[in-house]
Amino acid sequence: MASYILKRLMSTIPTLFGILTIVFVMIRIAPGDPALAILGDNASQEALDAFRERMGLNDPMIVQYWDFLKDLASGSLGVSMVTGKPVADSVASVLPFTLELAFGAIFFGIIIGVPIGIISAIWRNGWLDYFFRVVSLLGLSFPAFLTAILLILWLSIEWRIFPVISTPTGGGLWDRIYNLILPALSLGIIMVAYIMRSARSAMLDVMGEDYIRTARAKGAPGRRLIWHHALRNALIPIVTVVGLYFGLLIGNAVLTEIIFNRPGLGKLIVLSLNQRDYTTLQGLMIVSALMIVIVNLLTDLCYALVDPRVKLK
Amino acid sequence: MTTVDTINPEKRSTGEQLLRLARKNKLSTFGLIMFLVIVLAAIFAPLIAPHDPLEQNILARLQDRSPEYILGTDTFGRDTFSRILYGLRISLLIGLTSTVLAMILGCALGIIAGYRGGWIDSVIMRCMDMLLAFPTLITGLFIVAVLGANFVNIVLAITVTILPKFARVARAPTIALKEREFVEAARALGFSDLRIMALHIAPNIVGEVVVLASLWAAYAIRIEAYLSFIGLGVAPPTPTLGTMIRDGFEHILDAPFVSIYPGFAVLLVVLSLNLVGDGLRDAIDPKLRD
Amino acid sequence: MNVIKTTMAAALMATSALSLPTIAQAQDLTMAIAAKSAGQLDPHVSTKTQDKIVFAMIFNGLVRFAPGSMSSDAIEPDLAESWTSSEDGLVWEFKLREGVQFHGGYGELTAEDVVYSLTRAGNPDLSSVSSDYKAFKSVEAIDDYTVRITLSEVIPSVLGVVANYHGGNMVSKKAGEELGESFQTNPVGTGPFAFSQLAEGQFVELVAHEDYFRGAPEIDKITARYMSAASARDLAFQTGELHMIAGSREDRWVDKTSGGDATVAVFEPGELRTLHVNTSKPPFDDIRVRQALAHAINREELIAFAGSKVARGNEAPVPDGYIGHESDITFLPYDPEKAKALLAEAGYPDGVEIPIAITELASLFGPMQVIQAQLSKVGMNIKFDVMEHSAWHKAIRDDVSPLVLYGAARFPVADTYLTQFYHSDSIVKTPTAVTNFSHCDMADDQIVAARSEPNKEMQQQYWSEAQQILVDNVCSVPLFELLQVWALAPEIDLGYELGGSLSLGPVITEKTTLSE
Repeated sequence: MASYILKRLMSTIPTLFGILTIVFVMIRIAPGDPALAILGDNASQEALDAFRERMGLNDPMIVQYWDFLKDLASGSLGVSMVTGKPVADSVASVLPFTLELAFGAIFFGIIIGVPIGIISAIWRNGWLDYFFRVVSLLGLSFPAFLTAILLILWLSIEWRIFPVISTPTGGGLWDRIYNLILPALSLGIIMVAYIMRSARSAMLDVMGEDYIRTARAKGAPGRRLIWHHALRNALIPIVTVVGLYFGLLIGNAVLTEIIFNRPGLGKLIVLSLNQRDYTTLQGLMIVSALMIVIVNLLTDLCYALVDPRVKLK
Repeated sequence: MTTVDTINPEKRSTGEQLLRLARKNKLSTFGLIMFLVIVLAAIFAPLIAPHDPLEQNILARLQDRSPEYILGTDTFGRDTFSRILYGLRISLLIGLTSTVLAMILGCALGIIAGYRGGWIDSVIMRCMDMLLAFPTLITGLFIVAVLGANFVNIVLAITVTILPKFARVARAPTIALKEREFVEAARALGFSDLRIMALHIAPNIVGEVVVLASLWAAYAIRIEAYLSFIGLGVAPPTPTLGTMIRDGFEHILDAPFVSIYPGFAVLLVVLSLNLVGDGLRDAIDPKLRD
Repeated sequence: MNVIKTTMAAALMATSALSLPTIAQAQDLTMAIAAKSAGQLDPHVSTKTQDKIVFAMIFNGLVRFAPGSMSSDAIEPDLAESWTSSEDGLVWEFKLREGVQFHGGYGELTAEDVVYSLTRAGNPDLSSVSSDYKAFKSVEAIDDYTVRITLSEVIPSVLGVVANYHGGNMVSKKAGEELGESFQTNPVGTGPFAFSQLAEGQFVELVAHEDYFRGAPEIDKITARYMSAASARDLAFQTGELHMIAGSREDRWVDKTSGGDATVAVFEPGELRTLHVNTSKPPFDDIRVRQALAHAINREELIAFAGSKVARGNEAPVPDGYIGHESDITFLPYDPEKAKALLAEAGYPDGVEIPIAITELASLFGPMQVIQAQLSKVGMNIKFDVMEHSAWHKAIRDDVSPLVLYGAARFPVADTYLTQFYHSDSIVKTPTAVTNFSHCDMADDQIVAARSEPNKEMQQQYWSEAQQILVDNVCSVPLFELLQVWALAPEIDLGYELGGSLSLGPVITEKTTLSE
């Protein structure tokens, strides 16, 4: 196992290196001027020139690239051009928000998706099955912003159940969870759909297995048997779906973060793009890629643990 | 996760499959009809649209439904219904073009990687891994933000986003297929690699790829809408569904219909494609139920 | 002190976790600024809109515009108690108020701090507004409470550049030297509120400065959130989660929002929206095409787009309410037929395609789309290259766009506006570039003559002439002015009449209160 993890980790190094280079080059060929973006349109030409010089923006690209790699090698993501703070700090300050949002969405996906997936499978082709399948297809098809808009209009404005600003400046854990519900639900709808579909087909596979059929034919209490197996087998689709769609989840989180005005990786990426804050943008892209690589690795490991039929490569 | 390792060479012809699909899966047939209606509405937009989609009427801005404007008007007093029809054209064109491009390029790369193996395989798949390592929407966002928001760049961004998925799906069965007798035979006959890949391998993976394409087309259309929503869409006054939603978002409290109608248009297109994709998947391989 | 306060506030919040809306705590004010994040919280560095209102609460100038006013007549003592100037207007002496304390224990403000601040504001390496201080020959501390400024030439408004705006904000010398570059993440001033913390892209928190020289503020804490989406601000204001928000600048919104208990404040300055025309490149190097452009634009419709409560027409290149503004301008009226004829005469009978750069920022992009539709009716087909805001700022300074729709409020004296937008020194892509996008230089003589003209009437005459010349040459088409719009919850009492604010928002002062 350890050697497998090590091998997988090693194999991600060239990928990460490629990512670094792509990010570095792409950002620097982008139009727009960090000096103007940062100092404002009323800044004098002298001030702009001075800023560019100070930030090393006048250095040749290859020199900037070298500095960038040197920084990284020493474990630093550099310093933000806008705030002057270490990029690692900015990332660390928003990362929990994105993670709690993503996990919140996955949580909703599981508690809603798994039961209805199993129910669908048990009453296959019954009206409940049809109903849930249509609902899940709708869930898959709902554009993220439409869900968010409708949820806000109903739950925040009409019924006043949840606040619109989902990030309190203080408050305890419960407050934080309470504030997370609406955005997580909004982002989680697509996960509900994916997990429901996976759970359903996994269940159908299980129900098709000989031992279940035999058990049922022998008059064993069918429901209990199915639920017992279902719960064990539900783990597989969850792991699969989380691994497959984690990138999509983090991507869609950008929209959730914008609409709910939450801090997060995606929102900070859009912000740094706007401000041409090269260093922060680099850091964010690297961290988000790293996150996906890690999740993929974890998924593979979980998959191997949960389902002994899958042999490690 | 049992995606594509089961290859079934004795497949029925596409026509038969479609018939089977129509008979067995009413939902998908419904989806197909819905999609065709939407496509026709988009094609014949100039005939159907009651108003010029670009004609502004500042004095009649942000009006709700009325006989004159059946889905109301937007910020500039333009007719929302007409703009949705024209917007569908652009959104469909972007979504479908990028899906087809991604399908062709992705499959080509996947087949080459799978067939050739070795370092070519490593290089191609590493590159795909790099692309997959970014959160889905972020890749597109980054590309459009850097290159500029216009039709070509948006198509490019979406293509790059979904291309690796096709490459992966094409690669796995290729590895299995290249060991099969009929490929061995073709090689023994001295056929060129290119010919084998194009004539013997590609047709055998077309089924899975088409299923995937219909599902990813649905996603491509959503990416376009998302990018437009973030402000990285095709330049106005050209209407696209995402831009319309974005424009209306500022008035979400007092005139929610401005965003919500185009939002539902996106929903319908995506839903119809998802229904079709689902049905196709069942028809081509009942085992591939996701 | 601050720490204790913050902790207490946090504790309060925690105990009232489930009560909704959660802003009922005493004297904690929450507001939303229309921006994605802070710029840089250094008053000499950032000239961005979202930072101005924050600076106004943290800093003081030697003099200030009375709260709620932005007229030069309403300039009153701030850190300086009194001032005198020599007959020729070249030597100014300011007598400082005694006992003014900086935030965070940085001690009393003395003449040394003023010298440091003004020198810093004039240093192009540290300041973005150094050009305002070009005429400052020296700034000296005569004693602890007296500062002398010597000028090399007369400038239109000395008080303007030492007022609580941009470079006139006084910073602590000790803090500036100790903190260096990190000053911007920890700004230290003398104002009613002290900087407490900044959560990037989320909010900035200010706490009351108990030793403020005008008395301890009534409000304990201000949380200013950065919310760029108008709808998000709106929603949170409606649910009572925010006390004060930057509004949408249109009548529709004003009417809807002021319907309930909330107050909507519409106030000065009007930001003049001007369509600058590049006169140096085809097709607009031909005056007939420029005249056609002017005739094709329907101001009435543009004003109707925003509404007459928040927008007002202006045909002069200098905004209304600025010293030197000329209200009686002869201009080319809306006349699409004439526009078509002029265009045909200039050699474009079948119309002309004009690719332009435009920002995605709604307040400029919206009107530009109205203009696009108007111009298309006479055969001028505008093709947009929509850019992210900062990319657009770069592009227009690189002179790539033949038409530039620009909106700006500047220090309210004609000279600032005319110099930055219409003097040949300011032409873009030159070493001394500012924001002259039209490449016009025909009013240079009048602009320069007005600057050092001691006779007010003569000065006004130069400025009027300059404006008429610019309009006659269609260097730009001034369109309309958009006023500032903020919504305030009924609990807020600002403590002053809000008529105008150079900080572009309702500044919270020591007198502002929140009722239960």
